[in-house]
Amino acid sequence: MTDVLELPSTRHEAWRWADTGGIAAAAALAPVAPAKADFLDLPGARLLFVDGVLDDAASDLHRVRIGDLTPGDHPLGRRATHGWSLHLDAGAVADPVQVVHVATGGENHLAAQIVLAADTSAQLVETFVGAGWSNRQTRIRLGHAARLMRAVRMTQDAGFVSLRDDAELGEGASYVATVLGAGDQGARVDAAITLAGAGGYAEFGGALLTRDATKQECAVRVRHAAPNGQSHQLWRAVAADTSQASLAAAVEVARHAQKTDGEQSLRGLLLQRTATVNLKPELEIFADDVKCAHGATVGELDARALFYMASRGIPAPRAKALLTRAFVADALDRIADDTVRDAFAADADAWLERAL
Amino acid sequence: MATKNAEAHAAVAKKYEWGFATEVEQDFAPKGLSEDTVRYISAKKNEPQWMLDWRLKAFRLWQTMEAPDWAKLNVPPIDYQDAYYYAEPKAKKTIASLDELDPEIRRTYEKLGIPIAEQEVLAGVEGARRVAVDAVFDSVSVATTFRKELEAAGVIFRSISEAIREYPDLVRKWLGKVVPQHDNYFATLNCAVFSDGTFVYVPKGVRCPMELSTYFRINAENTGQFERTLIVADEGAYVSYLEGCTAPMRDENQLHAAVVELVAMDDAEIKYSTVQNWYPGDENGVGGIYNFVTKRALCQGRNSKVSWTQVETGSAITWKYPSCVLAGDGSVGEFYSVAVTNNRQQADTGTKMIHLGKNTKSTIVSKGISAGRSDNTYRGLVRVAPTAENVRNFTQCDSLLLSDQCGAHTVPYIEVKNPSAQIEHEATTSKISEDQLFYAMSRGLDAEAAVALIVNGFAREVLQQLPMEFAVEAQKLLGISLEGSVG
Repeated sequence: MTDVLELPSTRHEAWRWADTGGIAAAAALAPVAPAKADFLDLPGARLLFVDGVLDDAASDLHRVRIGDLTPGDHPLGRRATHGWSLHLDAGAVADPVQVVHVATGGENHLAAQIVLAADTSAQLVETFVGAGWSNRQTRIRLGHAARLMRAVRMTQDAGFVSLRDDAELGEGASYVATVLGAGDQGARVDAAITLAGAGGYAEFGGALLTRDATKQECAVRVRHAAPNGQSHQLWRAVAADTSQASLAAAVEVARHAQKTDGEQSLRGLLLQRTATVNLKPELEIFADDVKCAHGATVGELDARALFYMASRGIPAPRAKALLTRAFVADALDRIADDTVRDAFAADADAWLERAL
Repeated sequence: MATKNAEAHAAVAKKYEWGFATEVEQDFAPKGLSEDTVRYISAKKNEPQWMLDWRLKAFRLWQTMEAPDWAKLNVPPIDYQDAYYYAEPKAKKTIASLDELDPEIRRTYEKLGIPIAEQEVLAGVEGARRVAVDAVFDSVSVATTFRKELEAAGVIFRSISEAIREYPDLVRKWLGKVVPQHDNYFATLNCAVFSDGTFVYVPKGVRCPMELSTYFRINAENTGQFERTLIVADEGAYVSYLEGCTAPMRDENQLHAAVVELVAMDDAEIKYSTVQNWYPGDENGVGGIYNFVTKRALCQGRNSKVSWTQVETGSAITWKYPSCVLAGDGSVGEFYSVAVTNNRQQADTGTKMIHLGKNTKSTIVSKGISAGRSDNTYRGLVRVAPTAENVRNFTQCDSLLLSDQCGAHTVPYIEVKNPSAQIEHEATTSKISEDQLFYAMSRGLDAEAAVALIVNGFAREVLQQLPMEFAVEAQKLLGISLEGSVG
């Protein structure tokens, strides 16, 4: 039994737009039949978790290990104590790891740990389906020049997905993560990424698409603790009906993290008068030789672009869909693998079909 | 650049030239804060019963509240019982003319360069606009100038204590309407113990014939200053109001918790400019004023406009968010700010633009300059209500870092509930470009003058918004606050 009241209240700045009520409601969802696990056509490990429990028959672990993991102290992350881990020794290149999380009502918690030694490379694709509260804690440690590409899609029919990431990047390491919220569940993407070594590169972004009365948010904090780091946070939010999409992205530059290049681009699109988009591009800078810029905009689709398309004979719903798709595509373009990118784009399209 | 900055810190030694104290005999309220203090202040001001009741209600509310802690500020605990809440210079109860003002106080203002005699501000400049001044010394207003001329135009310009006695209906109608008693910890405290401040009423269709200004001076030791300003611009009226402030150099921290309320009716315009130069403490962060201020404007009427311009160079800690509630259709809110922090100063300042009416517009331009070991935060909120069609907002906040020991932070909140809104936010953080410095120095400027030139250029968009008399002062002030901080 989870005591949701243990979560910080929305009076707390970092939880201002959090939907703690949505988490409680998701945790109380009645059981549903397991949804179909849909793996992409990629080589490598396939992990199927049903309510946080590995389905051995449907999984192929490769290098992945299952076991207990140390919980962090984050209000969400600390609930996950058991899960999967991937450790790569220096110089190794792993095949992609695909994880499908199926929720069948109620709540489930799962931890993950990814430790990449020097000069390694890995790719991770995660998919959330079903209904209920799926809570994930992912700890990532990247060694010298290690590279991790990660893509997460939240496509549950109902409930809530909460992700808590805790990543630390060594010298010259690179972490590129893209998150897509294209289901009918609520979501909180909570991440703390530290560029601990010089010359680290972090990209954390994605698209949150909300409709009906759902609330999705990202609360991502990138901390530059060493010089010459680069970070990009590119987020797009599309809100329909009475939903709320919130983007809170912060860049923190420590005293000696000179020559940091931090960039934030947060853009929101409102499809109806009743929807809400919240943005908070935050900069916290303690070093003087840095380049940090952020841009944030909220609005509706460009009336002139819609008019132009109408004049070319494109029906209004189609024109709206095309423009919205282009708006979302910005955030998904960073997925390097064609198969993964196409699958994510298809999910986004399917969402647009339903919402528009 | 780093070494240059190091030299710079060594050179931050410019004295705070407004830091003298004036020897005048003063009456104090008993030290500490209780209902009796509130009653004492109210009695001193000869206030009607409703005013006392209002204060007491606020005081009881305040006792149940907690100080806000969300700002990026490190505020040492404040002992509210260890201060005087009322200090007034001992003088004749009523002065018939300005000549009867205590010469010590008069000299203080002369020294500060504040014209409390009715003279032209820029002597020798033909056609220069005149400025009417309300001079507030600790807890009381000691002089208001140009009353007669303003009265001829129908403009009421009074200290708030006088206004409560002379225009109770008008004050009662608006006091606490923009910043309610329960608004926040410091505003509620102010409601209970405010001592003086300015009241301005500009009637229908009147363009106030001169700039109005209040000059706040904290003089006495161990006192807090709690002033209250209320400006109401009726239909089609226009008023430009300036506010300046200084305090003596003292080792203790003094609290300044003011509330400013502005109301603009249909087609009215209020321009509110502040040059805040409270004592910032010394280079080790000892002493200085805690400037915890609530300023809010209600653009109630159609096509009304409120413009806040602030130049913040003083105070040990600044906590201040001049805001606009844009309720009237087509109303306009503007916020132009330059905040300079040096040494150990901390500033968390910005604005809120609450769009409620249709076709409302807001512009935010914030320039933060941090030097020494200071922290400078822009915190702002742009909110668009579901009913507010066609809202436009443009926000730009730029930060300039002049040392590698300071911090510059930007925390903008954007909350939009109407798709027809167009909200744009841009921000940059940088240090002074080596190229610009090199160029300026190759043209014969020394490093300090070059930095001053570049900083003034950086802040120009905001300084342009100030009335001329203030712009000159503000530019000088920017130069002084940063003097030696880059070499």
